Amino acid sequence: MKQPTNFSEVFEKITDLKELFQFGEKIIPIFQSLIEFMKDIVPLMENINKSIAESTNKMPSATNQINNVTSATEMATTEILDRVDSISTALINIDNDLTEILKRRAGKKEILDKLKSEINFNDEQLELLGQLYDQDEIDTFLNSIKEKLSLLNDESYQITLALQVQDITSQQLAAVNHLIESVNDKLASLVDDFHNAQIDKKDVDSIEVPESATFDPNARYDKDKSRQNDADDIFNNQQKDKNKDIASQDEIDKLFSGE
Amino acid sequence: MKKMILIADDSPTIRKFVSFSLKMQGYEVVAASDGMEAVEKLPQHNFELIITDLNMPNMDGFELIRVIRENPNYKETPIIILSSLSESEDIERGMGLGANSYLVKPFDPKRIQYEVAKYLN
Repeated sequence: MKQPTNFSEVFEKITDLKELFQFGEKIIPIFQSLIEFMKDIVPLMENINKSIAESTNKMPSATNQINNVTSATEMATTEILDRVDSISTALINIDNDLTEILKRRAGKKEILDKLKSEINFNDEQLELLGQLYDQDEIDTFLNSIKEKLSLLNDESYQITLALQVQDITSQQLAAVNHLIESVNDKLASLVDDFHNAQIDKKDVDSIEVPESATFDPNARYDKDKSRQNDADDIFNNQQKDKNKDIASQDEIDKLFSGE
Repeated sequence: MKKMILIADDSPTIRKFVSFSLKMQGYEVVAASDGMEAVEKLPQHNFELIITDLNMPNMDGFELIRVIRENPNYKETPIIILSSLSESEDIERGMGLGANSYLVKPFDPKRIQYEVAKYLN
């Protein structure tokens, strides 16, 4: 009685086996495609890996270049500021000298007037004295030079103002360096995990961000006063309780422009 | 005798620029390249006003202000923050530590002259 059951089980197993073969027939092409895909993708991945490794090795020199640019612009800007400083000092000295000349001339005018009142000059002599000391014309000329000096001083001031761009760009470059450093670290670890590719560890570690590279990644050279005005608003609101008198940037501009 | 001002900023350009702007107004300016150097210079002179950046190596501006305010000789000395940071939390933090003014970079030299004159004249 047991034998038919065994045959039935055998047939069931054969049927299962047949289904397995049929499934195998279907799945094998998929495996073949997968293997073909892997054959194609592996060289591609190796290329990607190689590119990442190359890029990672190039990053230290990129950051060094950026550091060099920052140093060079810093040096040039400092030099320009030194020159402008010398020019401004010279302009101030000339202005002071002119002020002194005008002061002394005013003193001499007083002496001349005293002489005129104490000595009876005739008309011709008075005219000659007037020509000898033509106060108004020379004073006007000297005052005109003083005005021009003042303009030159303002111009040199504007140069220094524009030079602040160096500080802002150096902060932006430091932020870029920081980003490169982060990307470099990520790529290096990715390459290591991915294929044990040989990235020159010495190169990876050679990214040097100067110790003084503190930066504001949002720093920007913007002559628009809105940022200062916003800061003033926050500051004023905070200071209200302390009853401090704080002028706005517009008020200060008016003050300096003499309005 | 000229009034002495201390400027702490890691940017040589800004140090030069501030010195230039204030020297023209008759002040004597001593420069420090970070907070630590500024702290070292505090006992060497009698500064009547201090200008500081916030982002600096070794010791940042916030820490510098805290140290200044703990120093009995500089408890009441006016402090002006000069920074490219302009977020409200930075301004509020600076003020909370005891700063008296806040200027955003790039700054107008007239503004810094005005702020300095406000406290020293």
